[in-house]
Amino acid sequence: MEIPLLITAFCTLLQVIPYYLNIPVIDSASATMRDWMLLVVNMAVFVGVISLGQVHGKRIQRRGEGWPFSVVLIVFMVAMAIVGFPLEGIGLGFDNAQYLFMFNNILNPLGGTMYSILAFFITSAAYRAFRARNWEAAFVLISGTIVVMSNAPLFTSSMPFLITWKNWIFDVPNTATGRGVMIGAALGAISLAVRTLMGIERGYLRGGGED
Amino acid sequence: MATMWELIGIWTAVFFTLAIYSFLYGENPWFRLAEHIYAGVSVGYAVAFNLDYLRDQWVNKWSLSGTLMLLYLIALFFGILWYARFSKQYFFAYRWTLAIIVGTGIGMALRTVIFTQFLNQIIAQARLSLWVSGDLLQSFSNTMIALMVPSVLLYFWFTGPARDRPPMSYIEKLARYTMMAGFGAAYGYTVLTRYSLFIGRSQFLLGITPNPPEARMAFYVIAAVILITLFAKDHLFKKS
Amino acid sequence: MSILDKMQRIDRRYIYLAAWIFVLFPLLNPLGLPVPIGRESRTWYNYIEAIPDDSVIIVSMDYGVSGMPELYPMTVATMHHLWDNCLTRNWKIVVLAFWNQGPLVFDTLLTQIDPAERYNVVYGEHWVELGWVPGSETGMAALATDMWGQTPRDYLEDRPLADLPIMADIRTAEDVDLVISIETGTPGLPEWLRQWNDPFGVPFIVGCIGVSVPGMAPYLASGQLSALMPGLTASGEYELLLNRPGLAVAGLDAVSMSHLLVVLLVLIGNVAYFASRGKEVR
Repeated sequence: MEIPLLITAFCTLLQVIPYYLNIPVIDSASATMRDWMLLVVNMAVFVGVISLGQVHGKRIQRRGEGWPFSVVLIVFMVAMAIVGFPLEGIGLGFDNAQYLFMFNNILNPLGGTMYSILAFFITSAAYRAFRARNWEAAFVLISGTIVVMSNAPLFTSSMPFLITWKNWIFDVPNTATGRGVMIGAALGAISLAVRTLMGIERGYLRGGGED
Repeated sequence: MATMWELIGIWTAVFFTLAIYSFLYGENPWFRLAEHIYAGVSVGYAVAFNLDYLRDQWVNKWSLSGTLMLLYLIALFFGILWYARFSKQYFFAYRWTLAIIVGTGIGMALRTVIFTQFLNQIIAQARLSLWVSGDLLQSFSNTMIALMVPSVLLYFWFTGPARDRPPMSYIEKLARYTMMAGFGAAYGYTVLTRYSLFIGRSQFLLGITPNPPEARMAFYVIAAVILITLFAKDHLFKKS
Repeated sequence: MSILDKMQRIDRRYIYLAAWIFVLFPLLNPLGLPVPIGRESRTWYNYIEAIPDDSVIIVSMDYGVSGMPELYPMTVATMHHLWDNCLTRNWKIVVLAFWNQGPLVFDTLLTQIDPAERYNVVYGEHWVELGWVPGSETGMAALATDMWGQTPRDYLEDRPLADLPIMADIRTAEDVDLVISIETGTPGLPEWLRQWNDPFGVPFIVGCIGVSVPGMAPYLASGQLSALMPGLTASGEYELLLNRPGLAVAGLDAVSMSHLLVVLLVLIGNVAYFASRGKEVR
């Protein structure tokens, strides 16, 4: 466990020191390290593939519940990876017609729709749960309703004072909440970073059946 | 007029859109199919992009000198260690790569989070004028912020029995009402985002410019087919 | 079940159906509701108008296809605004992305707008696209100190940056006068501020989805963020300020109707709740 802690401390200091001290050789090493690290990060490209392969491969092997869908998943994953492979010489890559077809007509609509479906759930949740049961809930309800109404031209064109009220909610309680949470979170992040640097925080190294 | 391939693409896009929305009726095979395809295509897409980056970096930068080539090979070595996470025996090697990433990331953030999210916010708070000549509302607002921000901070720092006694009991109330108003605003903007996304998809389904007009016919047909199959499945299931 | 109980227990599928109707109807039959111009869109418009001549502006496409419905209209409007003034104000526009789908979204924009034909701007001379810069915050830090090293070739024509006149004097963050980030999450403004604003003093304006807006408020209040475009409604107002109604304006009627539905449902739920509570007390 000691080697990873030393590596973490070294890498952290290599980024922090040049920011506060002007030492050209460390500055240069720090910049190179940042570029080099991006290569390492990008080489994790197959981790997702292997993880999905493990989960869905097992399901297919055991003919588990919904295994035909797992077959479909693996087929599409491999197909997308192959058609997008950076080998323009043999017709693959981002300009490949099949890649563009899959990106524009499969990935694009699926991605957009996945997030948009939450609109229905948020409406249903607002109807069911948004009740002014006490003063605090009433505050949430009132400020939420004012902001919802002020985002709709239907209301703001006939009741322009809603914009003024919304601006006040945004500028005062919303800013105060955000600032308070941000300062608190920054303190937490700094203390976590210092603890990690000192080797006290080791949670990120857990796993693999040992601590 | 769209070509045959473009038409196939449009109908494919409409099908996948409606397959996801079919979840609103209830869990069903159309949704599961679309969900699995999305997971597969997303991961495949990421593979293509990352490999393209690695190739470009080698060609344009890391192959230009012996030292850089060596560094690239070392990166390759540490990159391969990512996959040690799948082995119990060699899991320790995965931690080395993780340590590099975590250490560099923490260093990057530590450099400036102190200023960006801490000092600058405190400076802005300290610069608030409690009295703005000629503007009573602004004076009131600034005073409220001056009271609300510390109350929110103290609310998170002092928990448990400390909150039962004054002055924390009063500070806690102010903090809670401040945060409730803030969360209400967050809810209001969340409604805008989610409906904006839904409106975007609806504009596509209805073939509203600049979306292809052929999508509308596909929308009517595919929606009818999906709804009929869902009703039929419900009805048959109930019967049996 | 009494009417009050029924009002509190409407089946969710009827709510979903109502949402479909309230959104589809105004898209099929535009209502033409008036659109008041709000503070945020006016500030954004005025800020861009006031960008000094000879400025280097980075437009960062920090979103993917999932954020397109809300952010694409403001991207299109902003690019129109920038390209329209590019020649007369001698602005240099550099488009890049820290989200890997960002370049693909911009490709979509380029299929709908040809800046050379419309605004006589020359690619490589007045504007350039550098493509995806990977690495999130690390990539931002790397780009700040060595833009040529991070993106050695441009995205559209795959030419070395040395062959592009626009990039001759743009090497680091110190050469940049403004960053316009259109974003939907991480990496986003906090990362930009940490790596570009605090060390190099580069000013920022951000267009974001509604969900991100409350988190931007402290940055706006402290001056770290100079202008904010919060979501689709503000995008529609901006299009009207530019006299270029587009996708955002087309969707505003649907925004109004959908928000009306939410307000009505909350009202119905609360009226029924308080009325039934009053009944119980009696």
